[in-house]
Amino acid sequence: DIISTVEFNHTGELLATGDKGGRVVIFQREPESKNAPHSQGEYDVYSTFQSHEPEFDYLKSLEIEEKINKIKWLPQHNAAHSLLSTNDKTIKLWKITERDKRPEGYNLKDEEGKLKDLSTVTSLQVPVLKPMDLMVEVSPRRVFANGHTYHINSISVNSDCETYMSADDLRINLWHLAVTDRSFNIVDIKPANMEDLTEVITASEFHPHHCNLFVYSSSKGSLRLCDMRAAALCDKHSKLFEEPEDPSNRSFFSEIISSVSDVKFSHSGRYMLTRDYLTVKVWDLNMEARPIETYQVHDYLRSKLCSLYENDCIFDKFECAWNGSDSVIMTGAYNNFFRMFDRNTKRDVTLEASRESSKPRAVLKPRRVCVGGKRRRDDISVDSLDFTKKILHTAWHPAENIIAVAATNNLYIFQDKVNSEMH
Amino acid sequence: MEFKLEAHRIVSISLGKIYNSRVQRGGIKLHKNLLVSLVLRSARQVYLSDPCPGLYLAGPAGSPAVSPPQPGEPAAGPPAGWGEPPPPAARAAWPDAEPRPERLAGSAEPAAPMTGAGDTPRGGETEAAEAAWRCVEGPREAAEGGAGGPAGGSDGFPEGPRGARGPCGCPPGTEERPGPLGACPRLDCCCAPRPAEDEPPAPPAVGSRKRGAAGVGGGPGDCPAPGSSPRKKPRRNSEEQPGGAATAEEEEEEMETGNVANLISIFGSSFSGLLRKSPGGGREEAEGEESGPEAAEPGQICCDKPVLRDINPWSTAIVAF
Repeated sequence: DIISTVEFNHTGELLATGDKGGRVVIFQREPESKNAPHSQGEYDVYSTFQSHEPEFDYLKSLEIEEKINKIKWLPQHNAAHSLLSTNDKTIKLWKITERDKRPEGYNLKDEEGKLKDLSTVTSLQVPVLKPMDLMVEVSPRRVFANGHTYHINSISVNSDCETYMSADDLRINLWHLAVTDRSFNIVDIKPANMEDLTEVITASEFHPHHCNLFVYSSSKGSLRLCDMRAAALCDKHSKLFEEPEDPSNRSFFSEIISSVSDVKFSHSGRYMLTRDYLTVKVWDLNMEARPIETYQVHDYLRSKLCSLYENDCIFDKFECAWNGSDSVIMTGAYNNFFRMFDRNTKRDVTLEASRESSKPRAVLKPRRVCVGGKRRRDDISVDSLDFTKKILHTAWHPAENIIAVAATNNLYIFQDKVNSEMH
Repeated sequence: MEFKLEAHRIVSISLGKIYNSRVQRGGIKLHKNLLVSLVLRSARQVYLSDPCPGLYLAGPAGSPAVSPPQPGEPAAGPPAGWGEPPPPAARAAWPDAEPRPERLAGSAEPAAPMTGAGDTPRGGETEAAEAAWRCVEGPREAAEGGAGGPAGGSDGFPEGPRGARGPCGCPPGTEERPGPLGACPRLDCCCAPRPAEDEPPAPPAVGSRKRGAAGVGGGPGDCPAPGSSPRKKPRRNSEEQPGGAATAEEEEEEMETGNVANLISIFGSSFSGLLRKSPGGGREEAEGEESGPEAAEPGQICCDKPVLRDINPWSTAIVAF
């Protein structure tokens, strides 16, 4: 099914993917094997479960899609792993546990569990734990329902490990992980008169270190940093990050392409990364006037916005990601291409996630989209890009150079052989 | 010209999207609909402000009709229309709106209003423009407007959106208009067709257009005549409807905007209401004659409130849904 979200856990050992059918598939990295020193541990399927089912809201006569919009891992406190998964309306907390031993030698029950005839029991034994095939059990621990009227677009776990927030188009709610019947509304941008609506919330995230700070992005291209210490309702932002529009680029679609589709704090907490339709931008929390860096993802599409509007591609919501050291940023594009930008060297590379170009152990070849002018042999022309093959969801391992790229219904995991080279 | 064509196309596509969104699984996507409505609004502005409204009127013959933006106010033309805040655009558009030579003849009058319009506080224009739009989107309004009915328009103002005319508020007009325009009746739907150069000068010429001609005259701008009474604010709903239909009710309204295909055809076919003259609009689409003079007024009509209000066929369509 079409993958709708990809997320590494905090150690990078597990990788979760959600799909349009409401399923979650978790991959686990195999420990490095001495036999194959080059294989740095590959990811294999660890567990699969159905997280959400389609529902029907009878009151509004609306179907609620089971598509998983976001998955976020909780920090691990014990042997079990936990994650939050959400569809448009309901967030669920899942606990993933392993069972690799089972008790054998019960006195009262036989191997199949049937009660023994007591008369046959002549001596007592202490049951012992015997190894068994690894079984991964997933169980829903909490269901956070009825918190949102509009479609949930993001969830983010707070650094306090106790709360998390969920954002829909107009509101953001704060939940406690242990409480499902109550949530606090911390942002509400719904106008009194819906006719006055001009912007919606498109993404939000908690600051990685400061549990009182969070950011949310809007369809108008602005970011608002809010401090929960300031007020219970954070409608008034603490900082507003907005770049003035370039009047020379104005077109019918200026508003659409300026809508921010994803926002991510850097691991350091000092920067934010945003993705809009044609660019990725790095913002410094200390500077609200404009981003400190802007990278063009596929500027050659700027002249094709009308066609992209017709085929709905202009509404695609691409995600973006930082690498572990915040030196490289990555985002997806069309034709199964994805791009990486090295912030230090200012180099960038375009790679392709496709079966043909991804034989195991093969090194990915950089691709190039030619926009007129000289065309090299392997270049792809803008007109031959396949817009149905889009990479919306990508994730970067928190520490190593391993990336997960979702290309429609395939998941590609790429590892860096040596030091990553940007071209 | 191309701008107008493109704007028209974008309007049609946008309406299609809004319509289709109601049947999408998962319900209306507020974000997407909001963006579509913003595009719709921009396209409408351009459409209205494009100096060559009549471009397509000529039909296949394609009268180029794209007169260069009238000197008057600085090139409002496309640039203006691009989405700048309505007031400036409208304002700018006015002067240009007239491209039509014929219009020139009578342009004195129009010119005046236009200029006037130009000076009109943005609010007015904007309102008109906005109102026009809203009309488009507000199903309810349409229903309410029904009274005015297709026929002709009646003035719709008070009624509100009836017919939401769409970009330029050209009311669907009472009857089919296809006739004279032949080829493009709808194309630009909005006023454009009508305003076509020919229109103004010879309102009656186009038969059904007659009505429109007059009104349309003006052309895209929707500069409410200076005297126009303030738009009826109430109905504003359409603007956000598409995007805003977050709640069920709203969605409902939005949805009622109806069948896009019908809408578009309505758009195209009749602009009777256009004639309206900006001020007060009470003018009914009235017959061409009447329109004549007004038609001359460039740019005014199009989305003038009166015009907008008049969308008879439009309202019929809306009501139907």
